[in-house]
Amino acid sequence: MSGTQDAPSSRFGRFISHIEETFIATLLGLMVMVTFANVVLRYAFGSSLLWGLEVVLILFAWLVLFGISYGFKITAHLGVDAIINMVGSKLRKSLVMLSAILCIAYGGLMLKGAWDFWAPFGGAQQTTGRVIPTGFNEKTRNQAWYETDQVPIPFGRTFLENTFNDGDEYEKIPRFIPYFILPFGVALMLLRIVQATIAIARGQRSSMIVSHEAEEAVADVAHMNKDA
Amino acid sequence: MDVVLLFGLIIGMLLIGVPIAVSLGLSSMIFLIAFSDTSLGSVAQSLYQAMAGHYTLLAIPFFVLASTFMSTGGVAKRIIRFSIACVGHLQGGLAIAGVLACMMFAALSGSSPATVVAIGSIVIAAMRQVGYTKEFAAGVICNAGTLGILIPPSIVMVVYASATDVSVGRMFLAGVIPGILAGTMLMVAIYIMARIKNMPKGEWQGWGEIFASFKDAVWGLMLIVIIMGGIYGHPWYSFTDGVIWSPGAFTPTEAAAVASVYAFIVATFIYRDMGPLYQGEGNAPLSLFQNPQALIIGWFHRDTMKALFEGGKLTITLMFIIANALILKHVLTDEQIPQHIAEAMLGAGMGPVMFLIVVNVILLIGGQFMEPSGLIVIVAPLVFPIAISLGIDPIHLGIIMVVNMEIGMITPPVGLNLFVTSGVAGMPMMDVVRAALPFLGVLFIFLIMITYIPVISTYLPNTFMGPEIIIQ
Repeated sequence: MSGTQDAPSSRFGRFISHIEETFIATLLGLMVMVTFANVVLRYAFGSSLLWGLEVVLILFAWLVLFGISYGFKITAHLGVDAIINMVGSKLRKSLVMLSAILCIAYGGLMLKGAWDFWAPFGGAQQTTGRVIPTGFNEKTRNQAWYETDQVPIPFGRTFLENTFNDGDEYEKIPRFIPYFILPFGVALMLLRIVQATIAIARGQRSSMIVSHEAEEAVADVAHMNKDA
Repeated sequence: MDVVLLFGLIIGMLLIGVPIAVSLGLSSMIFLIAFSDTSLGSVAQSLYQAMAGHYTLLAIPFFVLASTFMSTGGVAKRIIRFSIACVGHLQGGLAIAGVLACMMFAALSGSSPATVVAIGSIVIAAMRQVGYTKEFAAGVICNAGTLGILIPPSIVMVVYASATDVSVGRMFLAGVIPGILAGTMLMVAIYIMARIKNMPKGEWQGWGEIFASFKDAVWGLMLIVIIMGGIYGHPWYSFTDGVIWSPGAFTPTEAAAVASVYAFIVATFIYRDMGPLYQGEGNAPLSLFQNPQALIIGWFHRDTMKALFEGGKLTITLMFIIANALILKHVLTDEQIPQHIAEAMLGAGMGPVMFLIVVNVILLIGGQFMEPSGLIVIVAPLVFPIAISLGIDPIHLGIIMVVNMEIGMITPPVGLNLFVTSGVAGMPMMDVVRAALPFLGVLFIFLIMITYIPVISTYLPNTFMGPEIIIQ
């Protein structure tokens, strides 16, 4: 119906897609396995991984925030296409272009928000200005000492302490690590939106949205009821 | 006034084809920048906390994943075979079997479009072969598919529970009787139509076929037992006390995770429709003895990764909408909009009957444009406080909202299930609309029953979990 799912043509493009897809699959797989392991541990051994729930919730946030950009890349996000399918092709293109520009505005505002939220935890500086970043705020309070509730540090503790916490001790993973997906994911999203907008302007792509979640699955089974 | 502007922005953006999530998020940000001093940083924080701060919503990816494993062909086919064995010999039997199959598949998956695709693609083709019209077949499946969000587990119910802080377990239990009732009403309506129009009937294949097809489908249907038994409790045998009732041991989120691991094992090692033991369409799959290394490979096999990826992708698109709807919800509660609306409505002397009609109308219109779970996140906090002060049971309200969503999915011009069915059946949208109309009438009667007879929804949860206690 709407949207074009252009398979990446170059080898590099396929490689990147492969990485993105594997990352999404792995995150979801880990979420299931950690939750499942905790149920089994509780049943069979009466114990549990204390950090299990917090880690799963962090993985959940990573999965979604990372995946949003991929959704824009393959035109998987849901929208209403009743109007844009009704109007003529010229008007349609300008409406789609307008919606793409609104998406860029969304990505830009969210990127500023994401950076401002993450910066104190990562020991970086927040931006000044309310809507448009005007510079960096040198008085940002460094909150890199802030730790997660339960998540232990598997490796690299000394490195983390020396680099981010002035050599002070970390007992748990510091918060800037899970929170990092926010500026990273949103920046990636903005990149994908801009790419989609360029593709629309060039006429290589017809929409930012699909009308329902099962469009691909429907296309797979459509042949079963085609009239001969 | 500001609020009218806010909703005007959202609807305007939706109509010109901005993704739903972006429409909600961008409108909220514009509103915050113009009318309050909230920083963009806290908006971004809401986006992160939408996932990391909502344990209940964690059930969504797990249920989506379980349903992805279950949708890989084999389970739908087996359920349909079992349904046909049960009711196929009645007049209009194949259509009735289609509804029954939709009901059973709905109990495995939490989404309506998924149900239409899995069952519809097979049943519509089969119905046409034995002489039903394509229109009738499409109309039946289009309607029966909406049961996907009413029969537990249901993603929409998880979202409602999370938005209003009621228990997911209660919501699931409350959906059981309405789900069976709606399915039965559809089946009766089909039977009456079949008698009048003298539609074809199948042959009675005997109890042997019922038993054999059940044995084949039972691994898939066991998923229902695992979910419901895990949440609410199940009979258990203990050596000291004999048969005892063991109370529920999982939270709904854990039940969902266990369900997805179970669905993976069934699809890969028992039905072998995917994974290392699958030998292509039409060939007998390998047994585990022929290929024992599959026990290890299965967990990382290409098909497993693909199902994980598909499940992840659907989770992402749903959660992107829900997360932005949560941002909008923050804006609305910060501005105390729900309280203002409640005062205005109660001040106008609105009683429960009038209020429920208003809720019905809002949701039927909203359901046209919005993904159901996103709509629930926005509307639930608006109507919840009014419902409480009018003495309406929150669980009952939740079921009303779900049924409204169902009808919204098959109401023209832009019902979701209409799109999906028109794609699956390969017929134009308007034909599907006409075909769905008679059954839409049945669902409307059902909606009125659900709305004004609360005990249909509240009987099971109140009996098994005690009366709902409202803490404000």
